Amino acid sequence: MSTETDTGTKDPSVTGTERLRSALGRFVWLQENPIPWVFPAIAVLLAFRLYPLVEVVRMSFTDMSLLSDSYSYVGIEQYLDVLSAPGFWTMARVTLIFVAISVIGQIVLGLILAMAIDYGVKKHIRGSVSTRIAVLSAWVIPGIVIGIIWQLMMIEAPYGVLNFFLTQLGFDVVAWLSDPQMALLSVITANTWRGTAFSMIMLYAGLQQVPQQLYAAAKIDGASAIQRFRHVTIPQIKPVVFINLVLITIYTLNTFDMIISLTGGGPGRATQVLALFMYFKGFQSFNLGEAAAIAVLMLLVNVVMTFVYMRFLIEEEGI
Amino acid sequence: MATQSRSGRSRFEDFDRYTAATYAVYLLGLAFFIFPVLWAISMSVRPRQEVISVPLRVIPSEFTFEVYRNVLENSDILRWVWNSLKIALLEVAGILFLVTPAAYAFSRFRFKGKRAVLLAILLFQMISPVVIVIPLYNMMAQFGLLNTHIGLIALYIGLQVPFSVWLLKSYFDTIPEDLDKAARIDGCNRLQTLWHVLLPSVMPGIAVVSIFNFVFSWAEFVMAFTVLNDSKLFTIAMGVYSFQGQYSTDYRAIAAASVIAMIPLLVMFLALQRYFVSGLTDGAVKG
Repeated sequence: MSTETDTGTKDPSVTGTERLRSALGRFVWLQENPIPWVFPAIAVLLAFRLYPLVEVVRMSFTDMSLLSDSYSYVGIEQYLDVLSAPGFWTMARVTLIFVAISVIGQIVLGLILAMAIDYGVKKHIRGSVSTRIAVLSAWVIPGIVIGIIWQLMMIEAPYGVLNFFLTQLGFDVVAWLSDPQMALLSVITANTWRGTAFSMIMLYAGLQQVPQQLYAAAKIDGASAIQRFRHVTIPQIKPVVFINLVLITIYTLNTFDMIISLTGGGPGRATQVLALFMYFKGFQSFNLGEAAAIAVLMLLVNVVMTFVYMRFLIEEEGI
Repeated sequence: MATQSRSGRSRFEDFDRYTAATYAVYLLGLAFFIFPVLWAISMSVRPRQEVISVPLRVIPSEFTFEVYRNVLENSDILRWVWNSLKIALLEVAGILFLVTPAAYAFSRFRFKGKRAVLLAILLFQMISPVVIVIPLYNMMAQFGLLNTHIGLIALYIGLQVPFSVWLLKSYFDTIPEDLDKAARIDGCNRLQTLWHVLLPSVMPGIAVVSIFNFVFSWAEFVMAFTVLNDSKLFTIAMGVYSFQGQYSTDYRAIAAASVIAMIPLLVMFLALQRYFVSGLTDGAVKG
């Protein structure tokens, strides 16, 4: 449009159609360049993804606080302070336990479900679709709501439903959320409940890629079901398992919403994982600089995991 | 003959054993994954005296919806649902507007550095928004966008660009390039080709991107928790969380609020299940 007014009004010898054609030509030429196509998305990406990353690193070297406008650079000392603070290593231990057990739980449960559904679909066993839907629906529920629902089930009085089942089976009432070790286990259980759907779907997709002739050949060679699983299934789905492992480790490490509504990080700091630890440092203790330093440590773990993932992706899928 | 009958029998035993195991897994899986949801519903529809009764009734003696009426009348929950709906729809519209041309270009153009840019986008996608929540808070404060829906929508769009570009690009990649070449030879320019030829074919991809962005916006918590202050502006996730803090002992009301927060997503999921599955596998395996 702007080109038309630029050239058109000044030169009466150029006809309307020619003007239109030149404008269109320019428009078409512009279209042949990828930059206008990707520019808006990339600009937004730089503003909301890249800039904050650079900024969080910069902030981690300052004593920035929510309570004052001025700040100064404190340099690497920030990190030494963060790492030597008494709560840090407790948090690191809690996070490690939370991530490790949740990830193992999600992979094992996901694989069992994926294999059952794979078998069930092939043998036309009823309930395959319902089971898949049931598992997946857990994935759709907002993390905050998941925490609340599990909290309702984990009411510690005898009328809490999990305790009710336990007492029916002859066990004692369990302090699901007020005992520090139980609380961590409870958070891990809820997180496994939430994340298994994703593993199941990925591993199921992986199982579909295994050539069926391999199983037939193994059968002819007399391999038992367990041997077929060990020597055919496992090697064939290893890439998918690995990608899945990396992805759910990242997701689990960054968990915030479900834990804040289930335990709020408590009792004490028994379930305060990395994301909560960082957030509280920033928005409850108002210490933005220190929180940024913790965020950078979190970022490092994210980036290392991502590079592992990308290397693998490039090798396997040739991106 | 002997071997045949033996292998025949063992196959039968195999079949039996594995079928039984599959049923067992299905049963346990169904119980473990459905029970929490059913429990929240059961809690919300029971009469008051059956909330803390011992022995506990797993299925209430009668169904009552009085607590839903209370929650709807005495809290802002409808407003929160409306806020979330508005934010989610605007986020989806914004994302599609930004990402469709970019995904087209990444699929159809060949240019230097394309692979590097795509990998950089993937890297951004993998880094959790939680990591950058503090600078994002400062950014919103500087632009005066704290405690506004516009600020939150902008944040959501910004955070969701990488995932959406990758996902939509993978759908463009599945459409044979001959299709748009034919249109180009017929005299369509790129924009016309995208609009008239490619968009209809890539619709399932657009649907998947829209659904995943909708679910993300509806469920997102950290950013809403950081940006929003005024309870009138809360999203449903924020609202339910504040509700939990406020009515900590009214289990029925909390259960009802949770059910209200998850029902729209569950209904959507049941209706559009196919899209969810393809989005999960495509989005994850391909980045």
